[in-house]
Amino acid sequence: MAVKHTKKLFIKALNKKFGKDFDLAGQKVEYKRLGPEQNARKREFMEYAKKVEGKRGMTGYNPYVHAGGIPLGQRQLVPYKLSGTEYVVEGDDLHFVNNPAIQQMWDDVRRTIVVGLDMAHEVLQKRLGKEVTPETINNYLEILNHAMPGAAVVQEHMVETHPGLVDDCNVRIFTGDDALADEIDPQYLIDINKVFPAEQAESLKAAIGKTTWQAIHVPTIVVRSCDGGTTSRWSAMQLCMTFIDAYNMCAGEAAVADLAYAAKHAAVLQMSEMLPARRARGPNNPGGLSFGFLADMVQTSRTAAADPVKVSLNVVAAGAALYDQIWLGSYMSGGVGFTQYATAAYTNDVLDDFCYYGVDFAADKFKGFAKAPKTIDIAKELATEVNAYGMEQYESFPTLLEDHFGGSQRASVLAAASGITAAIATGHSQIGLAGWYLSMLLHKEGWGRLGFFGYDLQDQCGPTNVFSYQSDEGNPVELRGANYPNYAMNVGHQGEYAGISSAAHAGRMDAFACNPLIKVTFANPGMVFDWADVRACFGKGGAREFRAAGERSLVMPAV
Amino acid sequence: MAYKPQFYPGTTTVGINRRKHMSGNLEKLRDIPEADVVAIMGHRAPGADYSSTHPPLKEMGEPDCPIRQIVAPTAGAAAGDRVRYSQWTDSMYFAPSTPYWRSYWGAINCKGCDPGTLSGRQIIEARERDIEIYTKQQYDSEMTDVALCSMRGCTVHGHSLRLEENGMQFDMLSRTEMGKDGNVYATKDQVGIPLDRKINLGKPMTEAEAKKRTTIFRADGLPMCGKAGARKYDEAVEALHHMWELRSKWGFRPE
Repeated sequence: MAVKHTKKLFIKALNKKFGKDFDLAGQKVEYKRLGPEQNARKREFMEYAKKVEGKRGMTGYNPYVHAGGIPLGQRQLVPYKLSGTEYVVEGDDLHFVNNPAIQQMWDDVRRTIVVGLDMAHEVLQKRLGKEVTPETINNYLEILNHAMPGAAVVQEHMVETHPGLVDDCNVRIFTGDDALADEIDPQYLIDINKVFPAEQAESLKAAIGKTTWQAIHVPTIVVRSCDGGTTSRWSAMQLCMTFIDAYNMCAGEAAVADLAYAAKHAAVLQMSEMLPARRARGPNNPGGLSFGFLADMVQTSRTAAADPVKVSLNVVAAGAALYDQIWLGSYMSGGVGFTQYATAAYTNDVLDDFCYYGVDFAADKFKGFAKAPKTIDIAKELATEVNAYGMEQYESFPTLLEDHFGGSQRASVLAAASGITAAIATGHSQIGLAGWYLSMLLHKEGWGRLGFFGYDLQDQCGPTNVFSYQSDEGNPVELRGANYPNYAMNVGHQGEYAGISSAAHAGRMDAFACNPLIKVTFANPGMVFDWADVRACFGKGGAREFRAAGERSLVMPAV
Repeated sequence: MAYKPQFYPGTTTVGINRRKHMSGNLEKLRDIPEADVVAIMGHRAPGADYSSTHPPLKEMGEPDCPIRQIVAPTAGAAAGDRVRYSQWTDSMYFAPSTPYWRSYWGAINCKGCDPGTLSGRQIIEARERDIEIYTKQQYDSEMTDVALCSMRGCTVHGHSLRLEENGMQFDMLSRTEMGKDGNVYATKDQVGIPLDRKINLGKPMTEAEAKKRTTIFRADGLPMCGKAGARKYDEAVEALHHMWELRSKWGFRPE
């Protein structure tokens, strides 16, 4: 049996963490118990806390109240290398509160809405007898990019938003109709032919056809004050006002209701579904975001299409931060600890190494990506091999095991590598998911332990839902999401499921995983977050090199 | 012929040890005094009365219930004891037991207990006088090595960390220590509160003995899947493949 990949990509990261000449394979070590002072970020926290304490007149952050006076740092507090990049940051820098890039990623999702233009044009043409031409569309888009950030049209006396606070807001359109696209002012167009490789562009245009869509990104500051449910309302109001202005309509005529209905309901694509009442969240909140949509939001598929592992792992990173750190870790549980678990999937090149091992193994055997038969036997063969390889690395490099010191971290990484390998090899996400669950069971069998509370329900029962298409438990992976039954509980899963969704299509070199409109919308050059290089952007955020939108400093006294 | 449970597949030492843990047919290696076990558990002072959450069952006038007639209560349940716990952390460097095998041992052999299995710790909850018995059984038997395993109610991390230079499992709260005489001593209870005296837990296993008694598959011990490039699956893997495939196909149910 051929073993091609022997790169051990994680060694570079481990050397950065533990020291260049450190014995990474030693099973015993002297624990120096240096406490929080050994770490620059903890020192910064303690110094800042002293200042804050004086100002507040009450105590705050003090690591010496931890564990009865025994603080963090009884072992080495090591930094984290963002996988596939040169960024090395402290673990604290990857908590979303400390990382503006992670915040912006989520803000970019919830401030986005896709609204069709065709229905509105039909109302204008058929009901009102208005002429719609490329020139009127360009005029409409100029007015819309004035109005969408929160400026007035039609009214003569009105409060407005400061352009410096809402400069990230923009609306561009896209279409599968090359003739129309040629007539649109380039500043208002997401040019599919320019931003996507030729084959992907043809595929996307064929899927979108002659329809025309608006990629709308309302101001970040709006969704930070309200929530994702606001986005469609904010945009619909400004769309209607813009139509009234651009097409000289009566502000009160009933036809405006048709435009409003189209903008709020009939021609709208929310980024995520509204959740059941017990979750109490509207649309455009993370719990309703499908794995396929997230896979399409990430743009690595158009910038590094030949490397399906890289494509998939950027999706994993986005999902780990959004689903684990923000959704489960904060919306759902209210805790702060999820970051520690989630980062395992996008730091230190561990998952990268396991995935490249598996994909090299499969590509060698089946002569390329997406060439293996789409069968359960393939999932068995690949997941068993990749999982065994991964467990062997943890066993051979005790520093690696120590880096992923929680079973949930190891379980996620081993299962993700197994699932992504099987998905890329077969081009089928359900085969990938089958590989995921087999990895979980093998991991538990080998070490007699798995993840949080054994991942009993989600993973040990999980194989039964892989191929199920019954209404309450089935679905292709692309259409499952954070609120799928059994998925709404454990860290270290949902980003990886999104990665498996992506992997199947990345292996097939597809232009999109689930929805072409999402793929094109997030190719908008006006996005603040870098959706093509998720992990590097997280690194920038951690290194304090990333400037997020939605800041209020313009209208506040300087610190 | 009377049914004899098989418990677990495989002819390797890991398979055999796993069967021993599940069957409860374990070798006793040490005898830690009951009062010392109670002190380390930290729920009541040794010799103190048991706290109760309800009167003894005999005084409660229980309803006429066939299940109650079939199942005799444990001593702790009969007395109305509160439910308490003991939680263990087992090193991945060849500790004799692993979280699942502690749980299987508990679920199969300990009446009235509630095992919980995580990656770095394993808890069993039961009525107080029952859990004291179950904990002493674990401490005394080959399930436990006093250097590679310890009771930790909180701040449990250590299972996946490198060992201390003296072979002890890392413990942030230093609840146990290696004495100059080569014995391991407990100095704090499960949650890290200092004990009023050091408790001698005896000598740790040698590395060879730990490898002999372990229930973990490892590449540097007994591998589960052979070696990369020359895979050879343990019977446990073949059984698991079969189970996973049937679970997956059952979920499909094309009818």
